[in-house]
Amino acid sequence: MAKLSLKGIRKQFGNTEVLRGIDLEIGDRELVVFVGPSGCGKSTLLRLIAGLDPTSGGTFTIDGREMTHVPPSKRGIAMVFQSYALYPHMSVRENMTFGVKLMGLPADEIEARINEAAAMLRLEPLLDRKPRELSGGQRQRVAIGRALVRKPDVFLLDEPLSNLDAALRSDVRLEIAKLHEEIGGTMIYVTHDQVEAMTLATRIVVMNGGAVEQVGTPRELFETPRNTFVATFIGSPRMTLVKATRSGDSFEIAGSGAVTLPGAPDSGAEVTLGLRPDALTVTPDGEGYAADFVYSEYLGNDAYVYARLGDGTLVSARVDPASDKQVTGGKIRVAPRADALHFFDPDSGLRL
Amino acid sequence: MTATPDTPAKGPRGWITGRGAWITFLLVPPLVVMTLFVIYPIVSALAYAFYDWNGLRREGFVGFENFRIILFEEPFASTTWQAFKHNIIVFASLMIVQNGVGFILAYCLWRDLWGARFHRVAVFLPVVLSTVIIGYLWKLFFHPIFGVVNQSLKAVGLDSLVQPWLGQSETALAALIFVNAWAWVGFPTLVFLAGLQRIPSELIDAARMETDSEWHLIRKIVWPLIAPSTTVVFILLFIGSFNWFELPYIMAGLDGSPFGSTDVLGLFFYRTAFGNQSAGVQDFGLGSALAVIMFLFIAIVATFWTLHLRKKELDL
Repeated sequence: MAKLSLKGIRKQFGNTEVLRGIDLEIGDRELVVFVGPSGCGKSTLLRLIAGLDPTSGGTFTIDGREMTHVPPSKRGIAMVFQSYALYPHMSVRENMTFGVKLMGLPADEIEARINEAAAMLRLEPLLDRKPRELSGGQRQRVAIGRALVRKPDVFLLDEPLSNLDAALRSDVRLEIAKLHEEIGGTMIYVTHDQVEAMTLATRIVVMNGGAVEQVGTPRELFETPRNTFVATFIGSPRMTLVKATRSGDSFEIAGSGAVTLPGAPDSGAEVTLGLRPDALTVTPDGEGYAADFVYSEYLGNDAYVYARLGDGTLVSARVDPASDKQVTGGKIRVAPRADALHFFDPDSGLRL
Repeated sequence: MTATPDTPAKGPRGWITGRGAWITFLLVPPLVVMTLFVIYPIVSALAYAFYDWNGLRREGFVGFENFRIILFEEPFASTTWQAFKHNIIVFASLMIVQNGVGFILAYCLWRDLWGARFHRVAVFLPVVLSTVIIGYLWKLFFHPIFGVVNQSLKAVGLDSLVQPWLGQSETALAALIFVNAWAWVGFPTLVFLAGLQRIPSELIDAARMETDSEWHLIRKIVWPLIAPSTTVVFILLFIGSFNWFELPYIMAGLDGSPFGSTDVLGLFFYRTAFGNQSAGVQDFGLGSALAVIMFLFIAIVATFWTLHLRKKELDL
């Protein structure tokens, strides 16, 4: 049971403002993912929540209790680190008991917790090993186990998958999702990988330049991004932004002609169109913006065609993998689906 | 393909011969120098210890007689054991004071307390000073009348503590130990600091998530993780303490004044082997015997202790 509330959280290193007034409410049992490019302040924010660094301003409460000046070990928070941060001189069991022993729990309670966590994470055969005798995935599970035995109100996970190879990454990702279901704690998860964010999160916090760009469910962020930053950050392949000139319902892209898009939101004469691969269909001729074929990408389940519009912008369109061979070069046309397009103000970058 | 049997086979064997010559060429000069200046003196000192000596003239072979005399016969035995006891006191005190303060300083520097950058240099400065300068400087500082130590005590109203630090048996050895710690504390500080800096910061963060007690953090996490640094520091201090010579020689003289209260094995060896105006005895055989005993004691203890400590070390 834990609700977190951050109000005006700021952090400065010298004259550099790394976090500029973060306001955020995190509900009980939520799995919130902080996502953003390197240096956006997501890890810094996590460290402030953990109490590992002092804040420069603002307040932070857990279930209404002021936490800003409470030491990390007294906040009811456990953290899983990117490098696992297991104590190399202790066995797996000792790693897991170190914190709970200091909490002053009785020995049988500690034992019960260790067994429970070990069973959940399949750690039983590893309990007497030293961290250096474990593989990356096993170390990660021990790090999670160490957090679990403390039965914290809040779990913090700082890029927990980035040191694992790709195959293991999806396994552990699944385990984390399962774990969240089972223990039902509040989790905050930091990553720069938007696939992790999309698959795990109940809500995603997109950060950029020390500020929150948008908070929402994965679907909200994908379907109604608040601005061009969120729009291009969420979704893979990325959304392409292209400048268009509007007259009525007709949107013209320089060098590619005009297309009629009924039902577009009100805007000025200049507008930025957001084109996701799903919103475009490729036709050899007929309706659509004229473009030059660049190359096609076959990914098994999917296939993408990349083409250059008249103004030089590279767009990608998802095509049926069975038919992608049909387009091989030369002039093509990309036709946008009006209901799947995004419209942004060219000056502010905000969604129209 | 046709073979040419009259041509001598070239190949691996010829190559090995060339390589062997090259290795020999590289190894022989240092081996000769080592033998001449290190191994030969050690072996001859060992040999000298088994002979009777008259001045610098070697007399008959006497077996272990010199060892027996230096360890068990008066007036040598009591001096030997007294000096040995002082070496132990020096070692134990320096372990606590020099290494203890060294660790605390390293910890403060590591935590980047105020002025850490300045102190990192300041702490190490005395280590690069010559022992002769340090000894002379502190002899002046400890001067009973003009010395800065007593002057300072008077200035802050602690007149009752004013005393001839180097001139009385009760305080002389402690004063020397203090000076040694002052001069050398930078060394363990630097080694400990290097060890601390090797600890990944996420590990310390992980521990801080579990305890807010600095003491727990140090005892359970930090200290075990700097084990490799402690091995180096402990062993070198052990060797240094039992070979202690320059500082007592400069500050307290060859006799370990006053009244032998600062006498250590190094001084006693020197007096016995090379003589002294006051000692009246000069016996190369006895001196060599003492040197051999010191060497064996230090080598054996240091070896076993190193092996023991290495076992506890960890690769991070």
